[in-house]
Amino acid sequence: MQRIIQVLWPSFIAAGVMDIVLFTLLDPVALIYQDAPLFTTRLGAYSLGFFLFWLFGTVSSALTCYFQCSTAQLNKICKSSEPKN
Amino acid sequence: MAEAGQKKVINIAASTEMEQTLYAVKQKVYPRAVSGWFASWRVALVLFTQLLYYGLPWLSWDGRQAILFDLAQRKFYILGLVFWPQDFIYLTGLLVIAAFSLFLFTAIAGRLWCGFACPQTVYTELFLWIERKIEGDRRKQMKLDRQAWNIEKIGKKTAKHSAWLVLALWTGFTFVGYFTPIKELAISFAHWTLGPWETFWIFFYGFATYGNAGFMREQVCKYMCPYARFQSVMFDSDTLTVTYDPSRGEPRGPRSKSTDRHTAGLGDCVDCSICVQVCPTDIDIRNGLQYECIGCAACIDGCDQVMAKMGYPRGLIRYTTENVIKGKYPDRSILAHVLRPRTLIYSVLLLAIVATLGMALINRVPLRVDAIRDRIAARETADGHIENVYRLQIINMQNKPHRYAISVTGLPGIKLGDASSLAEVAALGTHDAVVHVQIDPSEIRARSSPVEFKIQSLDNPELTKTVRSTFLNR
Ligand code: SF4
Ligand code: SF4
Repeated sequence: MQRIIQVLWPSFIAAGVMDIVLFTLLDPVALIYQDAPLFTTRLGAYSLGFFLFWLFGTVSSALTCYFQCSTAQLNKICKSSEPKN
Repeated sequence: MAEAGQKKVINIAASTEMEQTLYAVKQKVYPRAVSGWFASWRVALVLFTQLLYYGLPWLSWDGRQAILFDLAQRKFYILGLVFWPQDFIYLTGLLVIAAFSLFLFTAIAGRLWCGFACPQTVYTELFLWIERKIEGDRRKQMKLDRQAWNIEKIGKKTAKHSAWLVLALWTGFTFVGYFTPIKELAISFAHWTLGPWETFWIFFYGFATYGNAGFMREQVCKYMCPYARFQSVMFDSDTLTVTYDPSRGEPRGPRSKSTDRHTAGLGDCVDCSICVQVCPTDIDIRNGLQYECIGCAACIDGCDQVMAKMGYPRGLIRYTTENVIKGKYPDRSILAHVLRPRTLIYSVLLLAIVATLGMALINRVPLRVDAIRDRIAARETADGHIENVYRLQIINMQNKPHRYAISVTGLPGIKLGDASSLAEVAALGTHDAVVHVQIDPSEIRARSSPVEFKIQSLDNPELTKTVRSTFLNR
């Protein structure tokens, strides 16, 4: 549980910032994909964008957590990244 | 005797209330209610910030919502001003100002923000207040949590959580009301015709409030708040913090009111643990300044009451600086130490940014023009001129319509074709003006020459913008 929050929370913050920056610079309803507008409502676009960023952030944070494991821990199936001292 | 009893209660609570929560093995904290100078300030600030928060979106200005960050229209309304995405720089400036104010406050007086104004503290305070109203004071709450489930417990818990949920949903609703017009939002809310995303964000923010203020509480400050993590960077030995004065308090120990503490060899601390019981983050301030301390000053109020009861001077726990405790200077010289290089640098930077932003705001022209040359190459008109066609995108960023005169300069004898010199743009509207620019071929030699368009409002000559483009020869 702790680990999940540790992954979700920072990516949540990052996603919020990214969402604001991206959609100030660009208007989602102006996005055209294969001749059709990509989004019909802006609110939907912001929200979907936010979740997409959140997902990417989550993946990134989760990978960080995952790669933190030492080889010894990997051998015992990665359970904790806290250094065992 | 009474003190011993109280301690036992705490110990039992400690062993039974251990619960594995989100971040750490957490013991539920039951902050004891306090009253006093700082508590009154906190209540005042809770009221002030929440009146502001819940009330602001309902205010009107010029017939529309006074503060509205209209995401769907991509426009921010702040009183009489309308900001466009192109004005992003002002938002950045505002954030920088907020950051530097926070640095300055923190350097001078520690975590004032955390203790008195942070939404996390404010909502926790509101939720605690509801909890106390329904479940009773600290001891009753602990008893209730320990006892087996019965009608009374179910009733109280249901009442508490319902009240929390109502407040949380109202908070979520208000939050969304800053981003979509709140009156329409209220109407659709009443008719259950909310859009899917509005509904989602109301509930999302509502549940976040419910979780953060009802359950996570001090854990948010301890584990989730970035500011709390780097606060120490802004602290120095002259920063005012909530501090226990060990030279006065130690050796601590219980005693009866009639004992003369000096002959008994005791300090001022009666070891009543009130300061620990009132602490929302459950730390003992007598162990020195700790990262968990949010500077709420609840322990000051608590201890001052004890001191008053004992007939000792107040301020065993007080706002003071590390240097005072070390005996470098007395409390009354604290003010003289507020001005020091760190605070001066923060203040100068802050003033500079505020001034720059203020100037930029005053000089802001609510008009934006982009010039795009038509992709069709230059052509020759019937009377032998060379003509380029441009598209001028004129954005009227003001909340009233304007008529603009368009003129062009840059080459001798350059002129605008028919019907090219006037544009009318609705309030907050965008208009694409197609502009024909003509020139005598004898006046132009280069393959391309720079030209400049000037767009000026007819009813307010101060509304002027110039844009550059290039004129192509054949
Ligand atoms: S130690 Fe005192 S000031 Fe710090 S959080 Fe606890 S009660 Fe508040
Ligand atoms: S409230 Fe004051 S007297 Fe009581 S234990 Fe804390 S510091 Fe000592």
